[in-house]
Amino acid sequence: MSNLLEVSNVSKRFTMGGLFGRKTVDAVDDASLTLSAETPEIFTIIGESGSGKTTLARMILGLELPSSGEISFRGKTVSHRVGRQERLEFMANVQPVFQNPFEAFNPLKRIDRYLESTARRFLKLSQRDDLDGAMDGSLQKVGLSLAEVKGRYPHEMSGGQLQRAAIARALIPNPPLLVADEPVSMVDASLRMSIVNLLKSLRDDLGVSVIYITHDLATAYYISNRLIIMQRGRIVEMGDARTVLDNPEHPYSRLLKASVLSTEDAGDGKLATDPGMVTLAGELVGRPGRLVDRADGRMVRVYG
Amino acid sequence: MHGYLLFAGKRALLMLAVIFFGVSLTFLVTHLSPINPVEAALGRMTARSVSNPEAIVAMRAALTELYGVEAPLWSQYLNFWGRLVRGDLGPSLMAFPTPAMTLVMRAMPWTVTLLTVATLITFVVGNILGGLAGYSQNNKFLKAFGIVAIAIQPVPYYIVAFILLIIFGFLWPILPISGGFAMNVTPGMNWPYISSVLQHAILPASSLVLVGFGGWFLGMRALVSNVVTEDYVTYAELAGVKKSTIVGGYVMRNALVPQLTALAMALGGVFSGTVITEQVFNYPGLGSLLIDAVNAGDYSLVLAVSTVSVTAVAIAIFIVDLLHPLLDPRIRAE
Repeated sequence: MSNLLEVSNVSKRFTMGGLFGRKTVDAVDDASLTLSAETPEIFTIIGESGSGKTTLARMILGLELPSSGEISFRGKTVSHRVGRQERLEFMANVQPVFQNPFEAFNPLKRIDRYLESTARRFLKLSQRDDLDGAMDGSLQKVGLSLAEVKGRYPHEMSGGQLQRAAIARALIPNPPLLVADEPVSMVDASLRMSIVNLLKSLRDDLGVSVIYITHDLATAYYISNRLIIMQRGRIVEMGDARTVLDNPEHPYSRLLKASVLSTEDAGDGKLATDPGMVTLAGELVGRPGRLVDRADGRMVRVYG
Repeated sequence: MHGYLLFAGKRALLMLAVIFFGVSLTFLVTHLSPINPVEAALGRMTARSVSNPEAIVAMRAALTELYGVEAPLWSQYLNFWGRLVRGDLGPSLMAFPTPAMTLVMRAMPWTVTLLTVATLITFVVGNILGGLAGYSQNNKFLKAFGIVAIAIQPVPYYIVAFILLIIFGFLWPILPISGGFAMNVTPGMNWPYISSVLQHAILPASSLVLVGFGGWFLGMRALVSNVVTEDYVTYAELAGVKKSTIVGGYVMRNALVPQLTALAMALGGVFSGTVITEQVFNYPGLGSLLIDAVNAGDYSLVLAVSTVSVTAVAIAIFIVDLLHPLLDPRIRAE
């Protein structure tokens, strides 16, 4: 079995501060995960703000270099500085989708020009018909069409349309892997499901693997095959999405699940989480522990 | 295209309204000034000789008649506009009967050249360095530059100007400190004159650059550090777009839109001169002319200077308004 993506023992340490008083932050600590090349899946990274999920994604995209550890894509390492040509080859295979669709496009550039230059660059197309075909093809996959997008600037489209256009752009090179960093958190609730379903159909119909980064447990449960839960840079639980979310074992995972708002709780005027759970999960921050295998296939971090 | 013309037409009307109100306001302010041009002129004429009282009374009557200041304000106002639309701003009162416009035109090249060059240098250097500082925030040299810019920024302009004067005029006297050119050269297209003019411009220009550059630097740095975090810049970096293209095409261009507005305003302001610079360096420009005119109660000349600067600023704003939709598609939509 060959691996599409292999992240092994990756850590990232940031140094903050200037002349006076330096401080280091371990944004990601000893993270490992593997995506298989044969079976496309949606792999979810869950965690609160500051848990290191975005840093991990940025390292997978090659935007940050790991302080230690190794990331390889189809056996080729991406965790060191690479030349422009290699960068392009990698980008043709791993495409990003960003959180805020309004920031994903240069406001001074037309969207079709973006799609066109992506097609030119990655598909090496130059004929007008071929370019239009490639653009329209990928727009169709996300439920848009070239006619709708042509000549329009980002501010002339809605957030949901823009996010689809961003995904269409990502799909132009036919990449086997998408890295989607909170792709629905800035989209209206009513459009959220259409984007999530889109990711699902990308996996099921087009065989694209997706690294889906979110803090939203409901959509994670709905579409992911496997997931990891991160707390302050450390993976605390990892495994099959249903197994983990149905019955989370690590205190932090349980806290996350308990914190999901339900209409019943809100109706009862009960919005605060059990303080005991919060302390229990909080105490584990910063303690190394180690990941152990469980009988149901999941891995959990245990301490002491 | 039709929408754009409509928009341009609206803006043109707005510009004319601004000029009308601006000039009217200056007219009112100058005519309500407590300095009486007739008395000021009499004072100048009688300062060096003793005249008999009857002669003074006769002169006062003649000057009042000549200047036309006894007419009611509204008829002076109507007269003023009547002449203005024909391009005539009337004679200067302190240098009677030289037309005020001639004096303005004589002073204008000094001010406009000095300020345009200083403003453009300031703009280009400040924005390029500021943009680079915002893009590569860990660069030691640019960081140090930022600290210097923040340190100079709050120092009042005249202090900077005097420090330059003291350093380069007295402690290390290598530059001329006063005037527009040396006494011993003949104005014209000859090298001694040109080099003298350039030398005399160095100190005033550098004082303006020193003080003005920090604002552009800090402004651009803040704008760029905002743009850099946008995802489309990240995407361009990911896609292996060349660094120079990212800085030029994505970051600087997007951050430059508000800076261009400020540039146009600054260039429009060039026509009102810089009173302090011209006073400190005794530079022969519109600012000095304006001060002299105010002190002499020469409202005709004050009005001429103000009319020119009000018109220049209004036109500059009009041009910015016309250019904006071409630079930024988001404005086109409205």
